[in-house]
Amino acid sequence: MEEFYNNIKESFKDAVLEFETINIKVDSTEWIEAHKKLRDEFNLKFFSWLSAVDWDNDVSVGEAPKESVSPCFEVITCLSDLANTNLIVVSTSIGKSDPKIDSLIEVYAGANWHEREAHEMFGINFENHPNLEKLYLPDGYEGNPMLKSFELISREVKPWPGDVDVEGMPEESESDETTDD
Amino acid sequence: MINALDPQNMNNFSEASVSVEIETEDMTLNIGPQHPSTHGVLRLVAKVDGEKVHDVKPVLGYMHRGYEKLAEVRTYPQITTLVNRIDWVAGFSNEIPFIAGAERLMEIEVPERAKHIRLILTEMARISSHFVFNGAYALEVGALTPIFYAMEDRERVLDLIESVTGGRFHPNFNRIGGVKPAAGAGPTSKKNIQDLPAGFYRDTKVAMEKVIEAADQFQNLIGGNEVFKKRTKNVGVLTAETAEAYGVSGPILRASGVKSDLRTQTDYLPYDQFDYDIPVGENGDCYDRWDVRVKEMVESAKIVLQAIDSMPSGPLQAKVPKVIKVPKGRTYVRAENPKGEMGYYIISDGGLGPYRLKVRTASFSNVSILPIMLEGALLPDLIAIMGSLDFVLGDVDR
Repeated sequence: MEEFYNNIKESFKDAVLEFETINIKVDSTEWIEAHKKLRDEFNLKFFSWLSAVDWDNDVSVGEAPKESVSPCFEVITCLSDLANTNLIVVSTSIGKSDPKIDSLIEVYAGANWHEREAHEMFGINFENHPNLEKLYLPDGYEGNPMLKSFELISREVKPWPGDVDVEGMPEESESDETTDD
Repeated sequence: MINALDPQNMNNFSEASVSVEIETEDMTLNIGPQHPSTHGVLRLVAKVDGEKVHDVKPVLGYMHRGYEKLAEVRTYPQITTLVNRIDWVAGFSNEIPFIAGAERLMEIEVPERAKHIRLILTEMARISSHFVFNGAYALEVGALTPIFYAMEDRERVLDLIESVTGGRFHPNFNRIGGVKPAAGAGPTSKKNIQDLPAGFYRDTKVAMEKVIEAADQFQNLIGGNEVFKKRTKNVGVLTAETAEAYGVSGPILRASGVKSDLRTQTDYLPYDQFDYDIPVGENGDCYDRWDVRVKEMVESAKIVLQAIDSMPSGPLQAKVPKVIKVPKGRTYVRAENPKGEMGYYIISDGGLGPYRLKVRTASFSNVSILPIMLEGALLPDLIAIMGSLDFVLGDVDR
């Protein structure tokens, strides 16, 4: 993996290798070119997945990021080379006001469904996509469920019963730090 | 041209041919969502021109449970319960990459014994998944008998999984840092942890030898069947290039001639300690996809037998904090599941649960190839092709 990482680093300066995963960030205008390059020059022909992250400090579900982040969508793809262990995660940031990015279908045909999913779940528009219709959600569904501002209704009307389950078993009460010794 | 009505040619009736091209209007055929061959609730809308299928549109979402959203409001230990419901035919193997991801971010070294137990149960899940495929696929192409054998043989493996984890389909057995003490292991006080039930090694040996026997039986019963061969050979051919661009993985990719197995490539479980082959197909047709899976069952059984012989002793759990907080960071862990590459991309912000959990499932990408594979196929081949992809809708819709 080290050798591959060094090769990647020559082309993509800000590549980061952490927790055995290589992450690179590209500009959203170079989205298509970067993927073409990774496919042709680095032989990453296997399209694993595409998805997005909603970065926001103002959240209705889960925990908000501890540090302040500038609100944006992060679009992420994962590519790999099946002949060996090479795997890379590519990401880019796009604005929230008019979220759009070029569709990857011409580079990886498999991006089709992944982009449809990201479209309905986050409201991101993939330009030049042949049929950007809903994939999972029923017709007429309003809203983008994976947004951090989208409330989880069941959690709003009924408190989560799992919250009470934080006390240890009676026999374990003497050790607080570790579960086993 | 034989005049079929001429009495002299009556013996050659079968040779009479119709030279008129019949023009038919396209018919829209709706298959599912409650069709028995769709392994859940997949719906296909196909245009049919006579016997030829074209323009197939899979309609998903009947089983969408929103796991990625739910994961954002749960803690890491709670998510294990969720993820083993993704592909319920092989529930155990869904937990592994998620747990391995959390452990990687927390930099926990899992005890060898726990890793071995995980590996054994993962391979058993693979075997039971392939048993279901064998029975169901034969049924779909018209052979009723094999499913009864397959279900009986699978039960033996499920019993073993149940004896260790307490669950047949949803084990929820992995803990961050190791595995929990087995269900049938007696009192689990701190001083006296028995991790595997009594007689487990003996029963496993018997069951795995039965698996190898069963695979051999399937090769004769199904693979040797002339009708099965006719229905599957050279049907639904998938090239390696198309498969890779669509992210098709697992046995389907290997049947197309790509020798790719994530078990050899990543270190989520100690597969490098064992000796096994990776079956690869040649033609990428339905028969090869079936054949690869039957051979895989044998290899999995061999891995389990080796793992049992070399089971290390030691603890089942690494030291972990009582309240599990995963440090800030992001990682992608993928694993070779029975249906292909399954992976979790965890983005952690240092909290009790992930900020974002992307679940990459094998069947989702595998099913996305359907419109390509079914273009121009014959209607009777539709079920044969669809069945050979071996998908589960829980794994497609998540």
